[in-house]
Parts: sequence; structure tokens; C-alpha cells
Amino acid sequence: MRSLTLEGVSFWYPATDSPALRNVSLHVARGEIVALVGALGAGASTLLLVAADLAPRVTGGRLTGSAARHDRSGIVLPTPWTQASGMAFSVWDEVAFGPANLGWPTHEIARQVDRAIEQLELAPLASRDPVTLSGGELQRVIIAAILAMDPGLVLLDEPAAELDSDGARTLWRLIRLLAKEGKAVLLATSTLDALPEVADRVVWLEDGAIRAVGPPDLLADVAACDAGLGTSVATVWRTSGLPGPYPLTVAHALRRWR
Amino acid sequence: MLALALVLTLTPGAGSSPGWRPGLVVLRTALLTAAPFWVFLLVLHDVTTTVAIGLRITTMVASFVWLVAALEPARLVEAMVAAGWSASLAYLFGATLSAVPVLKARAQRIVEAQRARGLSARGGIAARLRALRALALPLVLSALHEVDERALALETRGLVPGIRRTPLAPPPDTPVERAARWALLLACLFALFRRVM
Repeated sequence: MRSLTLEGVSFWYPATDSPALRNVSLHVARGEIVALVGALGAGASTLLLVAADLAPRVTGGRLTGSAARHDRSGIVLPTPWTQASGMAFSVWDEVAFGPANLGWPTHEIARQVDRAIEQLELAPLASRDPVTLSGGELQRVIIAAILAMDPGLVLLDEPAAELDSDGARTLWRLIRLLAKEGKAVLLATSTLDALPEVADRVVWLEDGAIRAVGPPDLLADVAACDAGLGTSVATVWRTSGLPGPYPLTVAHALRRWR
Repeated sequence: MLALALVLTLTPGAGSSPGWRPGLVVLRTALLTAAPFWVFLLVLHDVTTTVAIGLRITTMVASFVWLVAALEPARLVEAMVAAGWSASLAYLFGATLSAVPVLKARAQRIVEAQRARGLSARGGIAARLRALRALALPLVLSALHEVDERALALETRGLVPGIRRTPLAPPPDTPVERAARWALLLACLFALFRRVM
């Protein structure tokens, strides 16, 4: 069952001649994790804004093609500090801001907020003033705030950018858990090493268009490594002059070596 | 002033904020803000008129400063939503009240960034003017840029028209407080009526 279907989508930001997205067709099924990879300016963030129905509705601009969303979406932007409400006395209030805006009954709000706080391991911070949080803590709070709104389609733009290694591990585990619960996850990330264990499919974007779609093995492809989109292991393998196909992970490398 | 009185009147508990600051700080800020008006008035008018108009301006400024100092924007939003106002409108009022500390914090960050790049705000008038120019431009531009970002961000948090927000912790509102607020509004209207007629 599909959660998101994009057919031949092209998108132009206001007052620009060249499109940020060019003829993109993509679907994401419920329970699936799709990762968008590409160089800066490849169009991954724009694609997420289109998927969230924010572009062009809020950003302005022009869209051609069709974008069908079959579930309510929730998006985590790459700048979590802009997503903070600024109207919360505590982390708990901050996470509850979205569910309250949806008009849910208070017991449902409390249930979803407590669940999201537990999922992101935020219980020790629950009573802290959001203003006093570090960048990584705030990013976890905003991810919890979006998940507390119980979206069927979860859109994440560089969700691990501000996180330390422990926080990132928790996040990747959570993303797998969300998919198991039946949520569709579409994420843009430059943390490529996590994708072999997390993503079901990888979409390689280049200059606003899809260059390749496939399993995470794509990140060990010679062309992807040449474009700087290989995993660390694949890149080291390539730099060492060892023959392809390049291994994706340390485990793959060990198997190849033996 | 009438608009603010109206908001406070129709908003139970909005004024009973825990974020109360010492009155002296409020008074000092109000007097400093009103001081330039006194200077201009003294240049343009005689002493009697200056005192008459100056006191009114000082009262208005002090009222606004007191409001900003005493009212937590988050509590105002909760109270307005509980009173039946739309969440978007309530957020608009709350965001306006919190704009001053937000801009102050951003200005501090810009000053620190400029200082890290070797621009000092200390020294003579010329140096201070240079520092002011280096602060003002990024401050205004970033504030304008953030308007778009905030619109996008608030959409992602469910703040859209047409849905009635659930108040999470509406401030308590006693009959005495309600009566006092209506009395204040009526007093404002009466004063306005007397002035016009």
C-alpha cells in the first residue's frame, strides 16, 4: 500500500528559471524506508518539501506533475531550532505543541507525547526549558514533536546532523521501528554509513533528477563512489586501489578479504 | 491600548503570569524609552504642554513594557485558546510579545560573531557606528528571512487555520478576575467616549 506517489514532478522556486526538481517519479510504500542521497543542491530537501505538501503551497513556486499523499505527513526540517514553537515552558510542552494544534483530546495528546519522549529517550529532559537545550538535544525534541503527531508518512531532512554517535544510533533504531509499525519513511541524509543497515531503497539525486534507484548496494557502486556517495568502507576500498565491486560495510569487507 | 485591554479582557488568566519581574526594572526601561520623547517635546512645546503630553506617553510606554515583562507569551496563547480564540491568532499575539527577547538574543549572537571576526564595538563614536551598521543589516535581513522559515516551520507543527487547538494548561480564571477585566474594558471605553464627545 503506497503512502506517497510522485509522478513526473518538476518544481521551480519563485523567481527562478531552472527547476529544483526535474521529472521526478517516486513512490514510498507503508513500512518502507527510502533514503535520498546526493550532492548539496541535488534536490533532496526540495523533494521532501513537495512530499510534505509544503512546496509550493507554503514556499511558493510552481509544480508540474502530480503528488499524491495517502497518509498525513510529518516533516523534520534540517534546522530544528526554527521548528521549536517558542511557546513552551518545558520539553514535554514543546512535544505536545503539535498534537494540541491538531485538536486531539488531552488523554490522547498525553499518550502520544509520553510515547514519543520514550522513543527518543528524552525522559530526563522532559521538564527542562527548551531554550536551555543543546543543538543535539533540540533535534531529538523536534523529532519527538513530529512523531507525537502520529504521521503515517515520516519525512526526515538530515535527522542525524546535530546528533552525537549515541543519539544517531538511537535514531536509526527508531526509524527501523517506525517502519515495522507500518509508517513510510523518506529521509535525506549525508550520513551514508548508516544506510546499509537502515534503508530499504536508496534514491540517488543529481541536479534535481533521479539518477539511480536501488538497494543500499548502490552506495558501493563505482559511479556513486566517484561522486562521493560511497560509504566510508567503499571509499577506503576504492582509494586503496582494490578491485570493485566495493564492499558496503566492514562486515562486507571482511567477507571479501577472506 | 484599547486593543490590548480588549485582548486581556477576553482572555481569562492571561495576566496572572508567573514571569513577574521587579517593578523597578520595568519603570527604568519605560523611563529610558520615553526619555527621547520628553526631549523632543521640550524642544517643540512649553513646559506645561511637555509635562502633559510627556506623562501620557510615559504612561503608554510603561503600560506596554509592563505587559511585556509580566506576561509569558505561552500563557497568553493558552489563555486565548481556552477563551475560544483561534490558535493562529493567539500565536500571532504571543509571537509579537516574544519578538523583543528573540531579537535581543539574535543581536547578541551577531555581535559575538562580528567580534570573533575582529570587529570591536568598543572605542570612539566612529568605531561604535561601524559596529552598529555591522549589527543592523544582518539583524534586519535575518529577521525578514526568518518570517518565511517560521511560516514553514509552524505548518509542520500543525498550526493551520480551521482546527480548534486543545488548550493544554489553561490558566485558572475566577469570577472576580473576569469581572475586573470587563470593568477595565468598560472603563477604557468610557474614557474613550468621554474624550471623543
